[in-house]
Amino acid sequence: MKRLNDLDYLKLNKASAFLYKLKLFFCSVPSYFKKLGLAILTLFKNCGLAVKDEFVDIITTFTKGNWAVKLSFLIFGFGNFYYGQILRGILFLVFEAVFFAYMFVPSGGLYWLSKVNWFQKGATVGTVQGKFEYDMIYDTDIWVPGDDSVKVLLYGLLTVIFIVAFVCTWRMQVRQCRICMNITAKGKKVKSGKDDLRSVLDDQFHKTLLAIPLGGIFAFTVLPIIYMVLIAFTSYDAAHDGFSNLFSWMGFDHFNELLDFGEGGLGVAFGEILSWTLMWAFFATFTNYFLGMFVAIMINKKGIKIKKFWRTILVMTIAIPQFVSLLYVAKLFGSSGLIGKALIDWNWLPDSMLAANQLSLWQNPIASKILLIVLNIWVGIPYIMLMATGILMNIPQDLYESSRIDGASVWQQYSKITLPYMMFVMGPYLLTSFVGNLNNFNVIYLLTQNNQLINTELGTPGGVSVTYTDLLITWLYKMTLNSTDSKYYMASIIGILVFVVVAVLSLVVYNVIPSTRNEEDYK
Amino acid sequence: MATVKLTNVKKIYGKDTVAVDNFNLDIADKEFIVFVGPSGCGKSTTLRMIAGLEDISGGTVEIDGVVVNDLQPRDRDIAMVFQNYALYPHLTVFENMAFSLRLKKVPQDVVYEKVTAAAEILGITEYLTRKPRALSGGQRQRVAIGRAMVRDSKVFLMDEPLSNLDAKLRNQMRAEIILLRQKIDTTFIYVTHDQTEAMTLGDRIVIMKDGFIQQVGTPTEVFDMPDNLFVAEFIGAPKMNTFKTDLICENGRYYVTPYGAKIEVSGAKAEMLKAKNIGSREIILGVRPEHFVMADKNSNEAIACTIRVNEMMGSELHLHVEEANGDRLIVRIPTITLSDEQRKSLVFGATIYVTFESKVMHFFDPETEKNLLV
Amino acid sequence: MNNKENKTIQKRGLGAKASRRLGNTVVYVLLILMTVIWMFPFFGIVLESFRVETTGQVSYMWPKQFGLDNYTRLFKETDFLIWFRNTGIMGVATAVFQTFFILSMSYVLSRLRFKGRKALMNLMLILGMFPGFLTMILIYKVFADLGLTMNMAPVGLIIVYCASSGMGYYVSKGFFDTIPKSLDEAARVDGATRFQVFYKVIMPLSKPIVIYTILMGFMAPWGDFMLASYLIHENSAGMSVAVGMFEWLSKTNVNTHYTMFCAAGVIVAIPVTLVFLMLQKYYVEGVTGGAVKG
Repeated sequence: MKRLNDLDYLKLNKASAFLYKLKLFFCSVPSYFKKLGLAILTLFKNCGLAVKDEFVDIITTFTKGNWAVKLSFLIFGFGNFYYGQILRGILFLVFEAVFFAYMFVPSGGLYWLSKVNWFQKGATVGTVQGKFEYDMIYDTDIWVPGDDSVKVLLYGLLTVIFIVAFVCTWRMQVRQCRICMNITAKGKKVKSGKDDLRSVLDDQFHKTLLAIPLGGIFAFTVLPIIYMVLIAFTSYDAAHDGFSNLFSWMGFDHFNELLDFGEGGLGVAFGEILSWTLMWAFFATFTNYFLGMFVAIMINKKGIKIKKFWRTILVMTIAIPQFVSLLYVAKLFGSSGLIGKALIDWNWLPDSMLAANQLSLWQNPIASKILLIVLNIWVGIPYIMLMATGILMNIPQDLYESSRIDGASVWQQYSKITLPYMMFVMGPYLLTSFVGNLNNFNVIYLLTQNNQLINTELGTPGGVSVTYTDLLITWLYKMTLNSTDSKYYMASIIGILVFVVVAVLSLVVYNVIPSTRNEEDYK
Repeated sequence: MATVKLTNVKKIYGKDTVAVDNFNLDIADKEFIVFVGPSGCGKSTTLRMIAGLEDISGGTVEIDGVVVNDLQPRDRDIAMVFQNYALYPHLTVFENMAFSLRLKKVPQDVVYEKVTAAAEILGITEYLTRKPRALSGGQRQRVAIGRAMVRDSKVFLMDEPLSNLDAKLRNQMRAEIILLRQKIDTTFIYVTHDQTEAMTLGDRIVIMKDGFIQQVGTPTEVFDMPDNLFVAEFIGAPKMNTFKTDLICENGRYYVTPYGAKIEVSGAKAEMLKAKNIGSREIILGVRPEHFVMADKNSNEAIACTIRVNEMMGSELHLHVEEANGDRLIVRIPTITLSDEQRKSLVFGATIYVTFESKVMHFFDPETEKNLLV
Repeated sequence: MNNKENKTIQKRGLGAKASRRLGNTVVYVLLILMTVIWMFPFFGIVLESFRVETTGQVSYMWPKQFGLDNYTRLFKETDFLIWFRNTGIMGVATAVFQTFFILSMSYVLSRLRFKGRKALMNLMLILGMFPGFLTMILIYKVFADLGLTMNMAPVGLIIVYCASSGMGYYVSKGFFDTIPKSLDEAARVDGATRFQVFYKVIMPLSKPIVIYTILMGFMAPWGDFMLASYLIHENSAGMSVAVGMFEWLSKTNVNTHYTMFCAAGVIVAIPVTLVFLMLQKYYVEGVTGGAVKG
């Protein structure tokens, strides 16, 4: 498509300018994907090149290195010792010793690795099934424990990670040998242990500070996530809990189950819950955003007194733990609650909305969805109001003054100055808040759990019954905790899908919002 | 008190954005060096490399003969004044100035002595117990300088220290820095984008553009004999007029022919042209505004132009004039040389006739933009 | 002629002053309405907690009989005090450790430049897109083996709350980003190591964000139901208020425990709200300064 130059573009009237932009957007889609493809290709190419460089570097280190360097290919830290870096040498050596000790002791790394049967479809995780066996002494069947699949998989995974770490460490100390070689070749001195200790609080300070938080994130987020991804390919559920019954590798079978829209498949339930989740996130985010902004503008309006008081009233709702206020409010709208009862007594609700078995708003599919969004406004406005207040104060006053002189009405000021500015600054926040709402457990679960009617049409997807307002996340929660028929593997699969949905959405939105495209516009 | 030597210093951001390249400079002990150039020319980057705040991509920096490339800023024994003062907001003026001494665990009485001595010199003794936010811009600037002073470091770095001050204060502080320099007497490296500061402060000036040094020299050298067109236009205000014209060599005499006039080159410049054995050719001629003079209408040295803007600066007039083919020139005429009548006639649209003194023109090669006489 | 023009201008609207007064009145009405809506549940809970005539839910607001029955029952008949103590301990511990984790992380990502910084931030962005609580399946298993559930659940929960908290670095990074970089540089030229820059220059300037982070850490266990419910099962000794009180509103318990729930709610809300209101200034600074930038 032909691009107009800037001056020609300026000649267009509003409608044709819009059309032009629309056309431009659609024309750019193929090239966007082409670029994406190319980017991925180059990424792979660069990765390949980097790997090649690594190998070349390792080989040259070996061929050019002296005997000490060559020896350090087998014995960690030997090169460091040779060049006088005793501290590093000891650390490397100890690491190697621990690694080999762990791998080769009985029920060490190799033992666990041999038990996992990685991804062999149909094979069990763990090899020995526990069972009841007759015991002479007690004269009864007693439980002879076998392997615990959960543990086998966990230790297997840990061992793999340890091996990866081992390889990386090996590479690191080889590289250090090379660096030492180069430095000594130039006639300079290598860093001593004292220098290393000093740098812990100086040029390596980031590593010092990051060590513990990143360790925590690794142990409590990365590792469990990898583990959960593995679980998605197994049959881990309440019946196959790994202990009383080993679970086994299933390949993609369960993925197919989720996407099966026929009888017995979870496709319908998943589709319905996903669509409500997206709808909820959309409405919850934008109603909060616009109303919160509106409230902030009201409070900040010139001539409004006791601003601080109004703000404090709202902020108090943040302070009170959500489970107290939400649970109370949920009851308030329940069948015997103050408002719920009143609504029914006064016949405010059309009869068609409340069928005979539906005693309160919560038990009507549509009414409860609307109520959730409305109550979420109650929860969310204070946060947005605070944030919007901060931004409003940052908008230069002279923009408003000049626009008033130009003849703008209050509404025009809002739509031409306030809104674009807010959108610009809060764009990234809107995205995170959308994602947050996709996973907004508290509001949905606390408001509805004790009150709602089960959606019987969907049966018991994933072994649990769902309500009309369950989000993916509350569904997952029930699946992993509430039920005697927990299907952990299904929870993992859905978790992965949630991740995919969120990641794709974020990527698209992040590339579209102005805040990331024209970062300097409002600075 | 130290020499600083930069050899082939290079700075590359990311993969291939070159900020500074091929930077060679020897700074003598106790010299006041000024890096000057338009924004983005790499002057601040160079200073920050000397300070150790930026990695050096190539080449070496030596302070007192020691290569400092891999040293942390704190191990280089330098002091630095930042453009936005960078005062610690949570510390009083005294503690701000004492900060570096405290880190070195200097005893309190020495700290007290040094800080009060510096405060005395800078005239900020009465503010010692205040926090920076209670100070005015000029006072903050003094504190920042004082903080650097108490360190008695080898090299004193200043990164555009005056550019956040208003014009009047800037002039005042500039004078004070000159005085200060006599008191501290150490090696100074000073970065600025303002050529006036560069000219007034520096023993030598380093003029930079796009990461490369354009010329190094004393203020007089760079003013009188700019190496190239860029330096010529950058140094001096209002900036030098430059226009394409022909250099004619007739019977051993040189003439330039701007806008139909014919002006003979005389004095030292003519000698230099001769010595370089330059023949008739096309050149870019450079003439500083103050070297224009009023000419007789009928003289063949006269250039006719129309006045577009008349800026009355008090002691002098800046006339922005337009030549017949649309070229714009700036002419600077001391008010004192004009009669009242002449002054009244210099109005918008009036035609005047100017020429310039034959001793003080600059000749540049149109292709390379180099000074033909260097 | 002149007069006429004047009139037309005046006729166009109410006049600046009058229209503003009208606008303000409308805004006041709306604000008062809002105040009522937002405060209503709190008054409701308080009134409910003093209700004596019933323990269940009724559809009128004003109690027929006021009394402290619910509170006495709360302390005598339930383990509420233990839950309260548990949650308090968790709050304090979480505040301490989480603040340390988050500040380290955000400081490094905001002010230090090192290889892999961008990659690290991207990684954490991606990790944040996984439904976090799925990790609880594994963590529960491991903690059960280690004995960190049931009675010891508070300890397990403290670890859960703190371990990955570094991922929530955005707000405080946003704050650190606003401190001029030249302060670090000046300090480094002055002879400070990066560690000294951290604790001598940046930390003293970061009071608002430190308090904000502490506040958030302290409040987390009070409001968390989801994670806590994994590690705590019907075991009073290790219960947190959220999990314990949630049970009171289940269909089987609601008629006997409803008013007590409200009484407990009041007791939980009072300390948290007080702390919060006292430090509100810092909270507002944190939200408005950090969240928007991050």
